[in-house]
Amino acid sequence: MPAKQTYKFSIPHLRILDQDGKVNKKLDPGLSDEVLITLYRRMVLAREADQRMLRLQRQGRLGTFSPSTGQEAAACGPALAMEESDWLVPAFRELGALLMRGVPLHRVLLFWGGFEEGNIFPGVERTLPIAVIVASQIPHAAGVAYTMKYRREPSAVLCFFGDGATSEGDFHEGLNFASVWKAPVVFICQNNQWAISTPLERQMNSETVAQKAVAYGIPGIRVDGNDPLAMYAATHEALERARAGEGPTLIEALTYRLMMHTTADDPSKYRSDEEVQAWKDRDPLRRMRRLLDSRKLWSDTEEEALLAQVKVQIDGEVKIYEQGVRAKPDVLFDHVWAERYPEIEEQRAAFLARQQGGETHG
Amino acid sequence: MFKFKLPDLGEGIHEGEILKWYVQEGEAIAEDAPLVDVETDKAAVTIPSPKAGKVVRLGGPVGDTIEVGAIIAVIDDGTEEATQAEASAPVPDQAPPSPEPEDPVPATPTAPAVAPAAAEAGLVRVGPVPAAPAVRRRARELGIDLHQVPGSGPAGRVSNEDLERFAAGGASPAATPAGPAISPAGIPFFQLDPLPDFASQGPVEREPVRSIRRKVARKMVTSMVVVPHVALMDDVDVTDLEEFRQQRKAASAADEAGARLSLLPFVVKAVTECLVEFPMFNASLDPQREEIITKHFYNIGFAADTPRGLLVPVVHDADSKSIAEISAEITRLALGARAGTLAPAEMQGGTFTITNVGPIAGTRLIPTINYPEVAIIGMGRAEQKVVVRDGEIAIRTILPLTLTFDHRIADGADAARFIRRLGELLSSPLTWLLER
Repeated sequence: MPAKQTYKFSIPHLRILDQDGKVNKKLDPGLSDEVLITLYRRMVLAREADQRMLRLQRQGRLGTFSPSTGQEAAACGPALAMEESDWLVPAFRELGALLMRGVPLHRVLLFWGGFEEGNIFPGVERTLPIAVIVASQIPHAAGVAYTMKYRREPSAVLCFFGDGATSEGDFHEGLNFASVWKAPVVFICQNNQWAISTPLERQMNSETVAQKAVAYGIPGIRVDGNDPLAMYAATHEALERARAGEGPTLIEALTYRLMMHTTADDPSKYRSDEEVQAWKDRDPLRRMRRLLDSRKLWSDTEEEALLAQVKVQIDGEVKIYEQGVRAKPDVLFDHVWAERYPEIEEQRAAFLARQQGGETHG
Repeated sequence: MFKFKLPDLGEGIHEGEILKWYVQEGEAIAEDAPLVDVETDKAAVTIPSPKAGKVVRLGGPVGDTIEVGAIIAVIDDGTEEATQAEASAPVPDQAPPSPEPEDPVPATPTAPAVAPAAAEAGLVRVGPVPAAPAVRRRARELGIDLHQVPGSGPAGRVSNEDLERFAAGGASPAATPAGPAISPAGIPFFQLDPLPDFASQGPVEREPVRSIRRKVARKMVTSMVVVPHVALMDDVDVTDLEEFRQQRKAASAADEAGARLSLLPFVVKAVTECLVEFPMFNASLDPQREEIITKHFYNIGFAADTPRGLLVPVVHDADSKSIAEISAEITRLALGARAGTLAPAEMQGGTFTITNVGPIAGTRLIPTINYPEVAIIGMGRAEQKVVVRDGEIAIRTILPLTLTFDHRIADGADAARFIRRLGELLSSPLTWLLER
């Protein structure tokens, strides 16, 4: 077949902080000590909150949820790169990013407890609710980003999703739209190797997720997702580009889900202990701790104090969750639209009437 | 005192098996410390203690199955009672037991006429069987035809469990309410699809098909599936017979039997005479041996409407009984049928059946043959009609009759001759008497 090469591509790979806590000086984003410590503290908070949620679920105090342990760098690093005026469009495994945006933990608990109020983040602007429906949030993010451009606001959107989402049509629609309209959005794929029980290689036939950016004519980059500095740097650069009107970027964060897909899942049925152990050795928290240690910014005493403080904080949030807000059953009608419409109000009335009638037969 | 109830550990979990206790009764436990390992349908999980305190009671020994909502541990956390208002034992989250057929029915009670080999195998499915690819592969490995495997899933989907159960020679599980599409083997296009969900269309009630209803259902389906039915209809002028009958009724008003004298005994007697004359209507077909069995006894059944359902009492040896005797016997049998006091023998051995719905309503009907008999007479309503007699308009009492017969044994011309003869007897009782 007569052919000549018309297009070639390569996918850059970024790692700044290695597994021993050593920083590649040429690529160091130059975060201050204070910022590094804050980042670590937030990652620890995310980890401890996640583990607490798992226990709460096992005790019947929380509904099914998707643990994020092991993916703290991929969630917290990008959040650190955001401006307050930027938008966060999460999937369902970015607890660290939500906490860094200032979302109170009890709101996340309410969400996974099944309460509609968990979709509301009071006092936190420009942060969309958790999106459980896989890839549904990607077109939303493209739309929000286009709105920013349309309104000439210098803000960008950060959109998270998993590797499984890249096999959904919404992913391709969202990326194409954002690319065509040069919408200011950064797509972060948390490639944690498993779409529930489907391993990456059985879910897609591409070498990388990042190369899918080539098809849409946007920059794509593969990042060590357990390296918080690389995640920060790559996102920072992509957000700057987006805000400057240069369109979207696709970032593939290579990471690993150390826990189950959700609490209703048992990963031991489909993956080996060796595989999990290999990724435990690449734990982003350990890597960050080694960095702080090497710069003499942290000690065991401080670690203990941090854990104690985090526990008190989480206890307080759990208390608010368990004693505080209790659902109005009709709250789900409150936020269908920004304003109230007669059609929705009719449905609310019918729903409430049925609720009252329904009590007699449980 | 905190009563810790087993939570739903997955989504829609009903129970779990206790795998391991981390504490003994009487030991202290810290909040969030491991309490017990429980394995559910979905996963084996470690449950941490929701409270700090002394473990007063464990929910059961290792190996026990515990239901969601049941108390898995009681922890003395220093409080008076459980925070939840539940002094009494909690109600476990129970699924209603699946309905078991009370009286299992053999798949093909009377189907040998179709294909003996298929009948032995029972009802099997035709067309693609719903099953997951993994189940299909397993079936191929086991050399099992999925058509043979009863499926317990929606629309009869075969699960791995169904397959293993079948492979092990086990019984099939209780059929789902909307069962699989089924078909007797070998009848193209014949398929019973699952019923629609009527409950979603409006209020419904379900009751099992039992007893007489089930027997009628089986007999009618068998008859309709096995026998090629042909119905021949005729109108019989019973004016003279009716005149005589009304006179008899008036004459013997005090006489119980006379008062009940209906058209039916006359029809029974006339049919019996026709059966002697046309023996192919007093026969049965042996499908296995491909032989026609002609019976030289004349037992006439009649359909009786009873509170328990349709019964068919039999007037035995009608050829040797007078119309008066037949009338008395019909009265006795009908009363016994309604009272439920008939002996089984009084409802067996029929060679021909008559159904008479005319007194209730209906100008005519096409009855279904009472298998394995060959034919049945359906009597419509006898009533006065305007008819033409010798070029004149006349008012006559007309009895509509339908003869439904088995076309394997008799042909249309035979049936026409049979019904013509029957008409002659019923329309000219005096001629009939002369011939006797």
